[in-house]
Amino acid sequence: MKQTSWRKFWKANNGYAYLSIWLIGFFAFKFYPFLSSLYYSLTNYNLFKSGTQFIGLQNYESILKTSKYMKAFGVTFKYAFMTVPLKLLFALFIAYILNFKLKFINMFRTIYYIPSILGGSISIAVLWQFLFQNEGLINMIIRLFGGDPINWLGSSKYALFVICLLRVWQFGSAMVIFLAALKGVPEDLYEAAAIDGASKFTQFMKITIPMITPVVFFNLITQLCQAFQEFNGPFVITNGGPQGSTTLISILIYQNAFKTYKMGLASAMAWMLFLIVAVLTAISFISQKYWVYYGDEER
Amino acid sequence: MKLMKRVIAAALAVSMTVSLSACGGGSAPADETTKAAEQKQETEAAKGETKADQAAGGEEVTLRFSWWGGDSRHEATQKAVDAFMAKYPNIKVECEYGAWDGWTEKCATQLNGGTAPDLMQVNWNWLYQFSGDGSAFADINALSAIDLSGFPKNIVDQCVVGGKLQAVPISTTGKCFFWNKTTFENAGLEVPKTIDDLMNAGAVFAEKLGDDSYPLAMYQYERMLLMLYYLESKYGKEWVVDGAVNYTVDEVKEGLDWICSLEDKHVLPKIELLLGDGATILEKNTKWANGKYAGFYEWDSANAKFQEALEPGQEFVLGEFLTGIGDYEAGLTKISQCFAITEASEHKEEAALLLNFLMNEPEGVEIMSTERGIVVNETASKILVEKDLLKGLTYEANQAVLKVANFTFDPNFENSELKDTTGVYYEVFENISADHNATGEMAQYLVDEIERVQMENPY
Repeated sequence: MKQTSWRKFWKANNGYAYLSIWLIGFFAFKFYPFLSSLYYSLTNYNLFKSGTQFIGLQNYESILKTSKYMKAFGVTFKYAFMTVPLKLLFALFIAYILNFKLKFINMFRTIYYIPSILGGSISIAVLWQFLFQNEGLINMIIRLFGGDPINWLGSSKYALFVICLLRVWQFGSAMVIFLAALKGVPEDLYEAAAIDGASKFTQFMKITIPMITPVVFFNLITQLCQAFQEFNGPFVITNGGPQGSTTLISILIYQNAFKTYKMGLASAMAWMLFLIVAVLTAISFISQKYWVYYGDEER
Repeated sequence: MKLMKRVIAAALAVSMTVSLSACGGGSAPADETTKAAEQKQETEAAKGETKADQAAGGEEVTLRFSWWGGDSRHEATQKAVDAFMAKYPNIKVECEYGAWDGWTEKCATQLNGGTAPDLMQVNWNWLYQFSGDGSAFADINALSAIDLSGFPKNIVDQCVVGGKLQAVPISTTGKCFFWNKTTFENAGLEVPKTIDDLMNAGAVFAEKLGDDSYPLAMYQYERMLLMLYYLESKYGKEWVVDGAVNYTVDEVKEGLDWICSLEDKHVLPKIELLLGDGATILEKNTKWANGKYAGFYEWDSANAKFQEALEPGQEFVLGEFLTGIGDYEAGLTKISQCFAITEASEHKEEAALLLNFLMNEPEGVEIMSTERGIVVNETASKILVEKDLLKGLTYEANQAVLKVANFTFDPNFENSELKDTTGVYYEVFENISADHNATGEMAQYLVDEIERVQMENPY
């Protein structure tokens, strides 16, 4: 009898056993640190100081009152809101072109995907630094066309733009997803529109865009999350400078956690960042009923 | 098949239980750990003499020894370690070394996680940062194998933190002026000896060598040190005393204004120009390499990398301390590096033997030579003099700065909140470089932030 009930239990739940390896990893390396960081954010925990105390919301208050931290949040917003739309537009544009039946199209698709493989690496960030320095390739090209060179890395006006450009350049992943979505738009819709006299532009705006809005939505969310977590580019290329113009909040989290060992404060910053991303994601989800078209629903 | 499934399920269940218990199991509270370490240390101290002897010829042990540095330091240290192992065959030493980038974070993680090597090369301010309560490093006085008789007491005393001697100082270093003599000659000038010489050089450089040539080039943190040189030369006061900035806001503003005047007179390039060059350190800036930037104010022991970065045909010289600012000689010095034995080490006496070999015994001293700067230990110094190893630009610079070494740093001067790239020094000097009218506001900010850091990190 016992064995039967055990067998029943096993049959109903053996999936969890197969999942357990992943679950152990998830709970040990994601969920536990996630929750413990929430607790640490309410303490003055410092790696090298004894006497950790529960201090309530003081870390959060301190962040809100410190202009340097608030400026970093501002820069992070600016970075995300410059990068995400540009990257999506660029990825969609290239995907649209790569959707045509051209010679060597597979080779072009591969080439355009390469920046996404390389883009996040430190070596590319260093390369970016070389390209945009005063005597770099970009200024050489500007001089060639008779323009005045620009202090890309040293000016607080332009430095963030250089960092944004590095992220936009890594458009490959979003492009591949857009490409798959574009291939999924039924041909008959275009044929019907063409018969009705719709131009290519009208077809793109009235058919393509509405049909791929679920994928636009997906890319928007993933790119938004990634943009708010950006670290490598500004850390390697500009070190957060000049005058804090590229100091994203992730850099200050790192500095507080691993340079000054203020884990409590760093955790509070990370949680504020998490809440911001969560709210923006929630807003995007709520807004989708106004602009995202799922084929199986009445509109 | 069923049996296999059961075995897998059982294994998974066990692994889950183990992982859960591992999550729940906490480490001993810090106080208890410290007490236990103290008790152990007292016992070890009581047995000191016999333990050192036992360590030299006793059971086989394996030590871990870590340091950071460049290739020549790695080679010399490994050679010295080999010599040590030949002399003490019962002690095996595993070396862990690398470049400076990221080294502090690595060591911090090891110290915090209890996995630090037995013997470590450390920065002096680490003693305060990582072991203010004395919990991370062992008491050197409790280890009989180390001979401290050759070390100047005033320097050794600076390593007494949290009531115990936590490290042995290796060397001291000081800030000096270095010049590219060739560039100055191209401008028709001698290298500057007074502040007026330097101020006049700015205009001459612009006129004769072009607007992109400057007699001095320094980034944010170095500007802070140059400002101290100015203020201490003029007012003769230490920068921080008893946790408070020893200068009024007006005096600090005067220092910041002076730095701005260097930019106005074409002595220093603006920071935005330096950052635009695409390098965050001078020795990697191509304009230093090709002589467009012709001078800097740096640690005596750091000169080699600047010299090596220069393109061929340029003469690199040590400068005199600039006079004409005020009545005081403002040489700034600090302990550059120390060796410390970790409190968590199970082989402290053996580590002490290694430390003593590297710092006191002729064989070790000769091999290590001046790889970590000019040694403070007089015993080692005599050995190096006998072997004619105390020479060269670093030695000359060190001797020059020691003659005027009237000022030093407080333990928080290099605190990450101040010194790092998003730190206060960077903020202040980037802001005043961008807007010379911001010196008043920035002077107040600098004083307030330093005092906040001092308050949060008492010593």
